Amino acid sequence: MAFRKNKQKTALRDTKGDKIFYIVNAFIMILLAIIVIYPMYFILIASISDPDAIFNGEVYLLPVNITFKGYERLFSDRLFWIGYRNTIIYVVVGTTLNILMTIPTGWALSRKELPGRKYIMWFFIITLFFGGGLIPFYLLVSKLGMVDSPLALIIPSALSVWNAFMTKAYYESNIPQELLEAAEIDGANEFKTFLSIIIPISKPIIAVMILFYAVGHWNSYFNALIFISSEEYYPLQLVLKDILIATEVIGGPAGDAATIIEQNKIANQIKYSSIIVSSLPIILLYPVIQKFFNKGILVGSFK
Amino acid sequence: MEQGLIEYNPKKKKNRFLRHYQLFLLIVPALIFVFIFNYLPMYGIVIAFQDFSPVDDILSPNANWIGFANFTRFFNDYRFATLFKNTFLLCIYGFLVGFPLPIIVALLLNSLKSKKMSERLQTIFYAPHFISLVVLVGMLYLFFGEYGLVNNLLTYLNLNKYSFFLEPDAFRPLYILSSNWQDFGWSSIIYLAALSGVDPQLHEAAIMDGASRLKRILHIDLPAIFPTISVLLILSIGNLMSVGYEKVILMQTTANSSVSEIIATYVYKIGFVGSGEYGYATAIGLFNSVINVVLLIIANILARKFSNNSLW
Amino acid sequence: MKKKIGLSALLIVMSLLSSCGGGNQTSTSGDDLESLGYQYLDTSAPIVATKNTVSYRILSSKNALAENYNDMLIFKNLYDSTNVNVNWDNISESAYAARKNLIMSDKANYPDAIYHAGFSDKEIIQYSTKKVILPIDKYLDNMPNFKAILERRPDIRRILESPDGHIYSLPRVEEMGLLAYPNLLFLNKVWVKDLINSGDIDFLTEEDLKDGLSLSLTDFEKILTLFKTKDMNKNGRNDEIPLSFVFQNWQGNQSDLYAAFGVPENTDHRTIINEKVVFTAVDDKFKEATNYYANWVTKGLIDKEVFSQSQDAFLAKGKASDQRLGSFYWWESETVVKNPEDYICLDPLIGLNGEQYVGVANNPEISKGNFVIFSKTKNPEILLTYIDRFYDPVISAQINYGPIGIVYEEELDDKGMLVQKPIPEGLTADEFRLKNAPLGLIYLSYNEWETVVHMEPRAKLRIERLDQFVKPYVYPGAKPIPPVSYTLAEINKLATIELNLYDYVNQNLTNWLLQGGVSDSAWNNYKAQLNNIGLNEALSIYQAAYDRYKAD
Repeated sequence: MAFRKNKQKTALRDTKGDKIFYIVNAFIMILLAIIVIYPMYFILIASISDPDAIFNGEVYLLPVNITFKGYERLFSDRLFWIGYRNTIIYVVVGTTLNILMTIPTGWALSRKELPGRKYIMWFFIITLFFGGGLIPFYLLVSKLGMVDSPLALIIPSALSVWNAFMTKAYYESNIPQELLEAAEIDGANEFKTFLSIIIPISKPIIAVMILFYAVGHWNSYFNALIFISSEEYYPLQLVLKDILIATEVIGGPAGDAATIIEQNKIANQIKYSSIIVSSLPIILLYPVIQKFFNKGILVGSFK
Repeated sequence: MEQGLIEYNPKKKKNRFLRHYQLFLLIVPALIFVFIFNYLPMYGIVIAFQDFSPVDDILSPNANWIGFANFTRFFNDYRFATLFKNTFLLCIYGFLVGFPLPIIVALLLNSLKSKKMSERLQTIFYAPHFISLVVLVGMLYLFFGEYGLVNNLLTYLNLNKYSFFLEPDAFRPLYILSSNWQDFGWSSIIYLAALSGVDPQLHEAAIMDGASRLKRILHIDLPAIFPTISVLLILSIGNLMSVGYEKVILMQTTANSSVSEIIATYVYKIGFVGSGEYGYATAIGLFNSVINVVLLIIANILARKFSNNSLW
Repeated sequence: MKKKIGLSALLIVMSLLSSCGGGNQTSTSGDDLESLGYQYLDTSAPIVATKNTVSYRILSSKNALAENYNDMLIFKNLYDSTNVNVNWDNISESAYAARKNLIMSDKANYPDAIYHAGFSDKEIIQYSTKKVILPIDKYLDNMPNFKAILERRPDIRRILESPDGHIYSLPRVEEMGLLAYPNLLFLNKVWVKDLINSGDIDFLTEEDLKDGLSLSLTDFEKILTLFKTKDMNKNGRNDEIPLSFVFQNWQGNQSDLYAAFGVPENTDHRTIINEKVVFTAVDDKFKEATNYYANWVTKGLIDKEVFSQSQDAFLAKGKASDQRLGSFYWWESETVVKNPEDYICLDPLIGLNGEQYVGVANNPEISKGNFVIFSKTKNPEILLTYIDRFYDPVISAQINYGPIGIVYEEELDDKGMLVQKPIPEGLTADEFRLKNAPLGLIYLSYNEWETVVHMEPRAKLRIERLDQFVKPYVYPGAKPIPPVSYTLAEINKLATIELNLYDYVNQNLTNWLLQGGVSDSAWNNYKAQLNNIGLNEALSIYQAAYDRYKAD
């Protein structure tokens, strides 16, 4: 709110140069938005157009031979809804665990007082570059008894070191030293400082991390591909992959021509319609997350 | 509380220790997690020194240890120089375009006059991140293929067609621009979050001094996100030589493979498609990681030298 | 929470350490076969006396359309007739591809066998030398159907045998004689007719425009050039595509164009001529052909998109509102164009020196590596006797197409062959088949198409066309390379050569075709570089393996 007021106040005092800047800037951004929107719009019309017309370059601005077969095929699949439910569960539970791990880690790493900070940093950095590969990882998860368990989609991805470093960078630039000194003088211990002072002013970074992790869980399919066998635990992305494969043609000598052509068409429609149904909810998450960015302004007022 | 203010006595030192000890506790879960899921499986690296098959016990002395043979094979491969060059060029060009773009966009979005417009644009810019690679590349074919939108337009204008997927020269621009199209909005989020932490009073004071909006971007906004930029810069340089194989494979044609064959696609073909040579694939991957670490260390040294913001 | 993680970390370290030393597969002795009432001689009687005495776990990938194997009627019927209980562990095909190696590395959790295993030669050799998978030939007596097949067909035995003389995997045999000839050339007869009527073509009459027309390369080029320059589809746009196919695709590829120059080409660039393995892409005639067709590409007679298009994009082309395809190579015309009746099927093109040939592809109709059984499996003979039932012709047909009762009528027709039921409404033929048939281990040889089950109409049509327009023109002495077995040393050597070799060949070939051709000096450099990469070594390995295959 304070921010808005400032804007209004200053609006009256825009210089000529500033006015030009605002106009040019808005122009560039809108141009960029058009470049981004058009292909997205294309996906939308492609999902309800005849795939042959798409391949033949007849679909650019308006859908051709509108058909909803791709959507019908998706929505009529029992597994589609199971996958949707599962993915939402994995996103909510997984992201909660991620935040509980990442925020304290990022905060502690950002503090020069952390004992052994340099070594701990290296301990994390090495993992960004070296890994044992898939086989040892699989054997580990198998030994933990998590093969074909939903836990395999949550526990092994409980922390992203990269995101912890992002959090660290945020705290380093956004938490004034004076604030900590004040807390120390108040006699608050680290736990107390973290919980009652840092967390309340961490909303922007928590929001960003929720977004990063949630999107990660939403899009991920590889761990499910190698660990999950039961369809009841499939996440949405895996279900969509399977539905797509199911409709694709088997190039053998069997089957009649009309069937093959028909299945091929539906497969191509599903490619587009699955993007719409699978990304719409997670795209809508962004405006919600965005609201928290502004709350960060509070930090400044402590100075 | 009031006592705490006055009392700076012997207790304070012990107090400090206690505080830092708690700081350490905050990070213990992460340390344990990383130990289990990153360090315990790390023994798999030794596969690089073996002729490995999945039923072998990786650490067993009876495994087929072959020393550095996998590495020398790679260095002697007639394609080694090409693969290295292709990987490096794709990554460096990608970095030169892809690193600054989200920063510029974040700064410009942040300095839009209308807050509402900024918010809406952010949502738009972020959306392409969710397009799967298969569809993204499929769309590239539809727009840039022999009979795609662009070539239809060229034909219409009586110009010669251009085979974007057959000309080696077109591969890198197409790859890099499409990747940036898809992810610039997503990558700018972290900067937007950092920008939201800028104290509005700074701007007010600057306006009083008659600073233009452009000046304020350079002197207030940019410094505010500088720590984030430098951490990302160091990490990106450390990741300079790593690029995924999926999209490259999808965009690869035999005609453009002289530039589109990179280390990652080669490893993929060797380790997973053809004869399953894990030892060889792991060795190449390890070689790539070592290069990345060296780059990271150099980047961090430079960052420490020229600014206060280093990774460690 | 923390303590728990710490504790489990400790446990993991310990278990890791303990697992390093071990790993020896001890073959466990199972139950007494006699007390189970095990028999294998009568192939229609139960294998064990009662149900619920023996049970196996078989891991199998399944098609995304297929029902869970545990619910499939064909497997329920097999359980009723054999009393052997199989718990199918189904995963999707893409999951299996990603997981195959992981499953093999997880020794503590092996299933008893893998169906749809898709094991390569290398995998079979590696796992058999480590004694992880069982030599099946030791139990051949327990598999009467399979044993009889091997006695009838020594060629199948030779394909299956590893260099150590044992058989470690079971085959899928589906012989229709289709896969070796994957290209048919189709021509738009309506367009040619228009050209005859307009007087642009004088070497053909309307009567010539029927299936089996033979055209020389020069005449064909004239037609393509006219397709290119004239507005054949009368839409006012120059959008005609004179000749299309998908470069290096497994079917509908460029191979037969090369055969017109006397090169029996296929996408592997290797074939057998008079019992010798020959590499086609070093023949000087290959260079000539490349230069010739590079000119076609330059002139726009061959659509440049053949080098980048997907199968989907190709298939969509023929269905544009205005027909654009003048001629094309494909497996059939029905799936390609919306008006197949307007296209005729040509004989192979006649080359500049009068050659009229086609090459043969190396796509095998007998594939190995489809089923493996683990050494640790208890009573493997019972499981193998069970699996042997799959090779009974009537069961093979049901495994491949679906069970009697759902897909086939209970009653046979007057020739004693299975009769297909009508497809239920709302289902397509493929969906119906894939839902009910597991596919996999079958034996349907040429003989079975006469005595047990009818071929599908589409396959029959193809065979008719091949018999008339392709098979009579096979290059003299040319044969497909059978799926021969290599030794581990050979496989390792090939692994270091093949990827580089074929990438190098295809990359150069594409560039030459796109850039107007190849100069003599570039051609000589290319041949020299092939030898550096190891072409001759690879050839001698192919030859040695083929010689072994023949000698057995």
